[in-house]
Amino acid sequence: MKKLRLTSVAAAAALAFTSLVAYAPASNAKAKVVTLAFQGPLTGEEAQVGQDELAGMLYAVKLFNAKNKGKYKVKVVRADDQGDPAQAAKVAPGIASNNKVIGLVGAAYSGATIASLPYYKQRLLPMVSPSATRVSITDPGAEGGALGLPVFHRVVVTDKVQGPSLFKLATKGVSSPKVFIVDDQSAYGVGLVDYMKPSIPAGQGVGFDSVSDKTTDWSATIAKIKTAAANVVIYTGYFPQAAVFFKQLRDSGYTGILAGGDGVLSPNFVTLAPASVLEGVRLTAGTVPLAEIDAKLEADFKKKMKKASGVYAAESIDAANVFLSCIAKGVTTRQAMLPCVKSYKGKSLTGANLSFDANGDVAGGAMNGFEVKSGAIKFTGPIK
Amino acid sequence: MIGNFLDQFWSLTFGGLSLGFIYILIALGYTMVYGVLRMINFANSEVFMVATFATIIIVRDVYKFTQTSEYATGFQLWLILGTALLASMAVAGILSVLIELIAYRRLRRMNSGVLAPLISAIGVSMVLAETMRILTDSRPVASPRAMEKKFIGKFFDADIRLDNTIIIVAAIILLLLLLTFVNKTRLGKAIRAVSMNPNASKLMGINIDGVVSITFLVGGLMTGAAGFFYVLKYENSSFSIGFELGIAAFTAAILGGIGNIKGAFYGGLSLGLLETYASFFLGTQWKAVTVFTILVVVLYTKPNGLFGEALTQTRA
Repeated sequence: MKKLRLTSVAAAAALAFTSLVAYAPASNAKAKVVTLAFQGPLTGEEAQVGQDELAGMLYAVKLFNAKNKGKYKVKVVRADDQGDPAQAAKVAPGIASNNKVIGLVGAAYSGATIASLPYYKQRLLPMVSPSATRVSITDPGAEGGALGLPVFHRVVVTDKVQGPSLFKLATKGVSSPKVFIVDDQSAYGVGLVDYMKPSIPAGQGVGFDSVSDKTTDWSATIAKIKTAAANVVIYTGYFPQAAVFFKQLRDSGYTGILAGGDGVLSPNFVTLAPASVLEGVRLTAGTVPLAEIDAKLEADFKKKMKKASGVYAAESIDAANVFLSCIAKGVTTRQAMLPCVKSYKGKSLTGANLSFDANGDVAGGAMNGFEVKSGAIKFTGPIK
Repeated sequence: MIGNFLDQFWSLTFGGLSLGFIYILIALGYTMVYGVLRMINFANSEVFMVATFATIIIVRDVYKFTQTSEYATGFQLWLILGTALLASMAVAGILSVLIELIAYRRLRRMNSGVLAPLISAIGVSMVLAETMRILTDSRPVASPRAMEKKFIGKFFDADIRLDNTIIIVAAIILLLLLLTFVNKTRLGKAIRAVSMNPNASKLMGINIDGVVSITFLVGGLMTGAAGFFYVLKYENSSFSIGFELGIAAFTAAILGGIGNIKGAFYGGLSLGLLETYASFFLGTQWKAVTVFTILVVVLYTKPNGLFGEALTQTRA
């Protein structure tokens, strides 16, 4: 009941907000007004991820509008799906039928993306997601085929790459790894483990557990880890639970390696546990923090957006730039946007070539490694 | 598997016990009110949630601890723990009394039946949870570590950790104080009288409203202490934990037999231990299935819970 009421209130709010933004009169009469949309969790428990991505997109749009003053003015419509498929199915029809919207950055989460896809496919709204990493969305060989064709694209590499990379990073430098893997029962966490499994050498995976993301007490899982005498523990889930789990595991006397995927890589992760507990935690992500790309870029972002950039800021900027560069070429309709995105060839913020393959996946792309040092997440380079 | 279980038995048991004592204290918030008013105070879960934030504010903002601070020791440590415990209890106690005044008292006077206060209680809990959600930006909030989680000894093979020990000892002291209050003092006698027969108590000159307020205060104090222990053990909170812990504690209260203190005690302990053992044996994903299957079986044979009797008949 609680959830239902929450989501319906949020839906009403989102609707009101959407119409407000979409129909606000253009302040600059001469400039051509073009509307893009963002979809992700803007309220609810996952709000930070969506708000951080939205800030990235708005930053790119801000730069674009300043550069094209008098020529184009890009507006952004916000669709709040709370990272929840049920909520996504409620907001997606509104965005899909709003003909002013010619491109969508999002959805942020894979589940929400899949729930929204039928509406966007029906109205041929091009999508570029900064962070939906579930393999099945673009995998033609997956059960049910590539779900996202023809509208879905993403600028981030998938969990098919992340799974093996995470295992590789976690066991790096360990002479006889005994790995215990814990997922959070989410599609993301379970999927990541499934993609990791084929890359685990015989005898190295000593145990698995699947723990609800509502769990506060981890003693049972910790007891299993101790029984298995594991020296590497990998958690595939999100940062709030990771912080609690790692804390309880370390406090129980565990001294081995701790590792997690991109769900754990959040600036907030390190605020949720003592620095001494998180020291040395190894993380993977397809993303690179803005500050690691260029400190000046991060400083400019902070100045313009009045907050530090978050996870997937770089990818959100990259995703927005795909649409913005098409707009700069004169594309102002949905019909023209889709082929423009498909044939897009540009550079990502990191300087790598950015284009999409036939299924909408980013061509090339690598996983990056990170490590927590003195209470901060430090980039340690691509995982080879 | 059994061999592994025996290896880990005592560490699992200590973890389960300290979780169980947290359940007991929250369950008391439900049980005290139910014993007197025959009403489920659903807002109790959010009183717990607010109390966890009181502890966090004391540690983080009053004593200025951060995730990189040195741990407190000696007198300073006990001072911090003491203030945080008292502050959480005070906040939760006062909040409980206010909730009764605002959300239930008038409904009770108007003899509104059982449904209106139920909805009113759910309303209050939503207001509290949503307000906290807005205040915290929907984010989990961590309490910086003020006390080192050191091992203070060994019991068989299990390490005994300081925080678990504090929780168990302090919770037992609180429970003994509560039992003394209910069984040995005039106010406690008044609470038991109102629980047994409100009309007769009124005729005897007992101030019913006063007794109800005291009951909410006592339930709130216990729930507030649970909030402190929760943060001491898990060092984090969020606007949504009230719901999770509230359901668990409510289950504990029902399992033991709602409306009596002994029921809350055994219900909380059984639930804490059951959850921990079940997670170890069957995998954490089976925890809820196991716990609720056992709950149904218990209620099937004993519909009033393990100790289904009223607050009135409680003996220490």
